[in-house]
Amino acid sequence: MSHPSAVQLLEAVRLFLKEAEAALPPRLGFHARVAGNVLGIVSRELEADPDRAEAEALAAFGGAAAVCAGLRDGSLSPADPPLLAALTEAAVARLAVDNPRYPTLARLKAQS
Amino acid sequence: MATWPATSEGHAPLSTLDPAGEEGRAVLAHILAEALGAPVVLREVVALSGGASSATWRLDAEVGGSGGASEARCFIFQRSANALGLSRRVQAEVMRRAGALGVPVPPVLAVPDPEARLGDSVVTGFVEGEALAPKWLRDPAYAAARSALAADCGAALAKLHAAPLAHWADLPLGGGSGAELLETMFATYRRIGLDVPAFDLAFAWLRARMPTDPPRCLVHGDFRAGNFLVNPSGLAAVLDWELPHLSVPEEDLGWLCVQAWRFGQPLPVGGFAGREALVESYRAAGGKVDSGSLWTWEVFGNLKWGMSCLQLADDHVSGRVPSVERAAIGRRVSEVAADLVHAIARGTL
Repeated sequence: MSHPSAVQLLEAVRLFLKEAEAALPPRLGFHARVAGNVLGIVSRELEADPDRAEAEALAAFGGAAAVCAGLRDGSLSPADPPLLAALTEAAVARLAVDNPRYPTLARLKAQS
Repeated sequence: MATWPATSEGHAPLSTLDPAGEEGRAVLAHILAEALGAPVVLREVVALSGGASSATWRLDAEVGGSGGASEARCFIFQRSANALGLSRRVQAEVMRRAGALGVPVPPVLAVPDPEARLGDSVVTGFVEGEALAPKWLRDPAYAAARSALAADCGAALAKLHAAPLAHWADLPLGGGSGAELLETMFATYRRIGLDVPAFDLAFAWLRARMPTDPPRCLVHGDFRAGNFLVNPSGLAAVLDWELPHLSVPEEDLGWLCVQAWRFGQPLPVGGFAGREALVESYRAAGGKVDSGSLWTWEVFGNLKWGMSCLQLADDHVSGRVPSVERAAIGRRVSEVAADLVHAIARGTL
């Protein structure tokens, strides 16, 4: 087993970027902060596998590509409650990785 | 009647002057002196921001008056970074006319000729105000401004929308019905070629609802927190006239309610007001709005913001504009996807 783990390495780089941010001119500092957030996403994605979570949520409809195709050709209705429930689950799985502090995440979880 | 070039005439980057360089400053001082009819000494050229589509500088000048007295004044110089959008000449003309209709805009002083070698650019007056939305949305010093903003925004939009289409007929502006704008956006989505289930949900939901009536007015196209200058008493100026087009009033009103422009604040209109307050102030200022279609336009606006995230990320992924900022914005698609699912499944956002 690798030591430190990939997630621990990312955390170390994140700490470094935070330190560097203060010493950089404003525009580069802003990019250092964005880069730190990106590492947070990668770190959560390594642990959560949102592609698989989305595929599982949409499995009953044949997966993401089939849902998109069905909504485009009209064979799926945007008012179908089971479809909306599945899309809610898929959206929650992705958002939990990409921005767990986004307020809509809590709202979707509370009501689903 | 003057003819207006539809897009910027791409200037070769090598021949474009640096506004902060010696030659650029001399040209700018000359342009200011001509516009003001007074001698101008340019003290300082300060880079304010360099965005993806345009860059902005503040010009600190001494403007001569009668009797030898001179006054310190600031101006703004803005230059397009590419030739994709409306030319600055057309943007400036829209701003001038919007200003004449009573919309608060920075005064346009000059649109430099190609011979000035300053690129596709404009010189405007400097308006005091805070542009950073997270600042004026939270700072107690702007409490009075926040309570005045719904009325100020409603009035500004009502005045802009009141002008008939003929008012803009000589300008090369795009546009279309809501249904047409949706189809244009769908074509872009398919060109990028990604599958985002929540986006297809929104496209399908909107296709059954987008109005098909033709444009009735000019819309600003990006009227939102982030493009406002706010002073302690309210809206000081509306900036960023890069996306005006012919549409219906509900497009601007719905766009102002999009989640991304609330900057984390709970109130739906730009984080500073309720929807009813906006519609009331818009009507009080003489605007006519089909409130039944506002929610549809709000959902459309959220999808439009999501499409911007997708396009900005594609700039990075395709190698056109390699940038950590653009790469990161691609993951904001998940925020918009969640908002769209919430809006369509629950009927609120």
